Amino acid sequence: MTTRTIRGLVCLAVVWSLLLTGCTAGKRVSAASAYAPPEDQRLVVYTSHKEEVYQPIIKEFEERTGIWVELVVGGTNELLDRLTQEAEHPKADVMFGGGVDSLEAYGDCFTPYFCADWQQLSPSMRSESGLWTPFSALPVVLIYNATLVSPDRLTAWRDLFSPAWQGRIAFCDPNISGSSFTGLVTLLYAMGGNQDETLMDFAVSLDGRQLNRSGDVLTSVAGGTDLVGITLEETALKRVAAGDDIALVYPADGTSCVPDGCAIVKNARHLENAQLFLDFISGEDVQQRMEAEFSRRPVRTVSQEAEILLPLSDIPLLDYDISWASEHHNGILMSWAFYFGGEEQP
Amino acid sequence: MKLTRSFRTRLFVGFLLASLLPLLLCSAMLLQIFRLQMEAQADSESDVQLIHVTTALDGLYDGFRQTSLALKASPYVAPALAQGQTDSSMVYSELYSATEGSRSSARFDLYDREGIWRYSTPRSPLSPQLSTQWGILYAARQSDGLVFSQVDGGESSSAPLFQAAAHITTTHGQDAGYLVITMTRSNFHQLLDGTYSSQNDLLLLDRYWRPVYASVASLSDTLAPLLREKLLEGEALYGEGDVYAYGTAFQEEMGLYAILQRPQALTQSTRGLLTTVTVGSALVCVVISIFMGLRLSRQMFYPIERLHSAIGEVAHNNLDVYVPPYRDDELGQLAQRFNGMLVALKHNQEQLVENQRELNQAQIRMLQAQLNPHFLCNTLDTMKWISKINQVPQVALMSTNLADILRFCISPEEFVPLRREVEILQRYIEIQKIRLSGAFSFHAEIPQELEDCLVPKMILQPIVENAILHGLEGVEDGHIQVQAEKVGSCVLNIVVTDNGKGLPSDMTGAYAHRSRELSRGHLGLYNVDTILRKYYGEDFGLYLSTGSQGRGAVVSATLPLRREEEAEC
Repeated sequence: MTTRTIRGLVCLAVVWSLLLTGCTAGKRVSAASAYAPPEDQRLVVYTSHKEEVYQPIIKEFEERTGIWVELVVGGTNELLDRLTQEAEHPKADVMFGGGVDSLEAYGDCFTPYFCADWQQLSPSMRSESGLWTPFSALPVVLIYNATLVSPDRLTAWRDLFSPAWQGRIAFCDPNISGSSFTGLVTLLYAMGGNQDETLMDFAVSLDGRQLNRSGDVLTSVAGGTDLVGITLEETALKRVAAGDDIALVYPADGTSCVPDGCAIVKNARHLENAQLFLDFISGEDVQQRMEAEFSRRPVRTVSQEAEILLPLSDIPLLDYDISWASEHHNGILMSWAFYFGGEEQP
Repeated sequence: MKLTRSFRTRLFVGFLLASLLPLLLCSAMLLQIFRLQMEAQADSESDVQLIHVTTALDGLYDGFRQTSLALKASPYVAPALAQGQTDSSMVYSELYSATEGSRSSARFDLYDREGIWRYSTPRSPLSPQLSTQWGILYAARQSDGLVFSQVDGGESSSAPLFQAAAHITTTHGQDAGYLVITMTRSNFHQLLDGTYSSQNDLLLLDRYWRPVYASVASLSDTLAPLLREKLLEGEALYGEGDVYAYGTAFQEEMGLYAILQRPQALTQSTRGLLTTVTVGSALVCVVISIFMGLRLSRQMFYPIERLHSAIGEVAHNNLDVYVPPYRDDELGQLAQRFNGMLVALKHNQEQLVENQRELNQAQIRMLQAQLNPHFLCNTLDTMKWISKINQVPQVALMSTNLADILRFCISPEEFVPLRREVEILQRYIEIQKIRLSGAFSFHAEIPQELEDCLVPKMILQPIVENAILHGLEGVEDGHIQVQAEKVGSCVLNIVVTDNGKGLPSDMTGAYAHRSRELSRGHLGLYNVDTILRKYYGEDFGLYLSTGSQGRGAVVSATLPLRREEEAEC
């Protein structure tokens, strides 16, 4: 028997079995794909929100519009990096979550859109270029361990520089956490004066300690490892509601209220659906529920105030410039790395 | 032995292919057919179960729809919800009669237009207030009929999993309130248990493939997202090697997908078993192939081996070998032919030995003839001198001639120029002339160009002696002539002619092939003929014929024409 004959027989066998398997596989695919939604009823959302935030919103969006939402969940920076990599052929239509200063910093990935209710958004919390649409306002707050610290000892940003807290401040690495970066910039705004001196003093107060996850700030303060910490109001309120032993302080010398937002990815495949999504999350029905359901503050005037949170008007606010913060994002982080790392840094 | 190895290997590979290929082909085909049949059966079973499930859901929907229609049409319910001042017992009575058929499969709540709970089939409300701007109430307001929505209720059996709602308006079209129907895990369990077989699991998904109910609660979290992802990616819900297969059905009104998870018809273990059987069979094939390969090659190789050793024996010059034919097949015939060849070879060799022996005898005779020749030569010389002293010239001449002949005879050369042969012949003739008192004449005629041809020594003398002794006996005026001629380019013909009594008729023709006994009295001719044939082959030798006028004899010797310092022609 020649080699060719053998090869022929083997090929025949392979083809035969492939034919037999092929038929059934084809049938199965077509049976399931009949239920799959058509392309114009789809939306791909990258979100860095927690499930309890995105889940009810996505569900309601789907039921109201009939659009199937495909979710990709991840960290803000991770998803933004992914968007940069996919810039040529974006998989995502919408980036949902992340501070608007982060979205601003990755502005190349997004395309501007003015949502239907843009006029109703708080002027301080909307993008003049329409690059992003705010979702919720998140004031930066200070927290302290309610058992270990008496209430009058921490009232403002400047109290953080007290030697009593040195090495006991819970602060997440601003390179990792966007909210921590906002906290750091807020600190700079609140202290005024020379930026470098403030950074240097704060580095001394931290005594070389930073946390690696924003959630650890709460855990560390609640557990008593740290006495005070810097975090977002929403996160802190949730932990208080969960029974953690922490208290909130809205700094008397003012704080920032940077919203987290949502933006449409450049060259999105489902652009119309993405616009619907932005209209939806900035719409009254979602914003109305923001406070009661998510411990977040709405970014627009709503007809029925929930009156659970301290009204924003009662919180001393700084004139925080989002675009300044995102423009100087890298510069601030570099300075911070320099002072925090001490002499070891170049 | 290279032959055996390659031969055996080839046989083995051949057997292996011939057995393994059909086996594997068969196994693959059987596996496929088996799988297809099992799958078709499992598919149809699963379809039947799914039909049961959708039938149950259809029934449920009909109940809900009738309830909602009855409550919407009720003259008490809408006003009660809108104004909140009607007798509540009438509302309850309406509620209970409307929910008669489906009360066991769900709870029914009535909310007013603010979303505040007012009435329900159980005592306490599911939740005291619902948002009208969100979720099911919002959806109900947008629709005329029933709307359905999945609820994340948790894993307990009383957890609400699925809600339906309908908007209730007054006769004037005013917003009055909402009917909310809630199904718990136990409701679903009660409804659907028994519609599918126990080894399968059921998963209900909403319109967007989010989990509503699962017969095993954990499937909601693990399986549902996976299936949704596959659906959106456009992939098949399950593949060849997956543990489970999934059947799907859709209840349109409620927007519920029923997914029936069943173990794959061809489980991993069955697949493993079939593979084991196939591999086992393949191994048996390999073993049989090796066995057959060895056996056949041995069967073929045994005769070859015997032939091989027989050839070895022959190479060592043992011709008394016999290879038994063993079997009457191609190899047997080969052995027989080998035997025949051997017999022929043996015969040839015996012939050769016989020839050699004859040659040896001739040489021995020659050696005997050379016995102490110097003594004879010296004696002849002495005789020559004594006869000269005593004035007997004939004796002197004879002894001189005899001594020359004798020297010629004992000289070591085997071949001599024809010129020299003729000179010695002259000596002999001189002796014979003295003996026979000159009763004959002799004439030699050798062309110049042939004088230096090489001939075996002493071949002319016996022929001439034969002519003198037998031909010229009693003949007066006898004459002997020796002539040499060239025939063609490379044959020398030496002819001795006499005018004597001639030959007996039975002696004419080629001298060859006469036995020694027959040549008695003509031993000289016999010897010459033998020498010529032994030296030059059967084509050469003596030829005898009668002279031209019927008198005398002509003896011609043919031999290859060779010269000194010249290769064979």
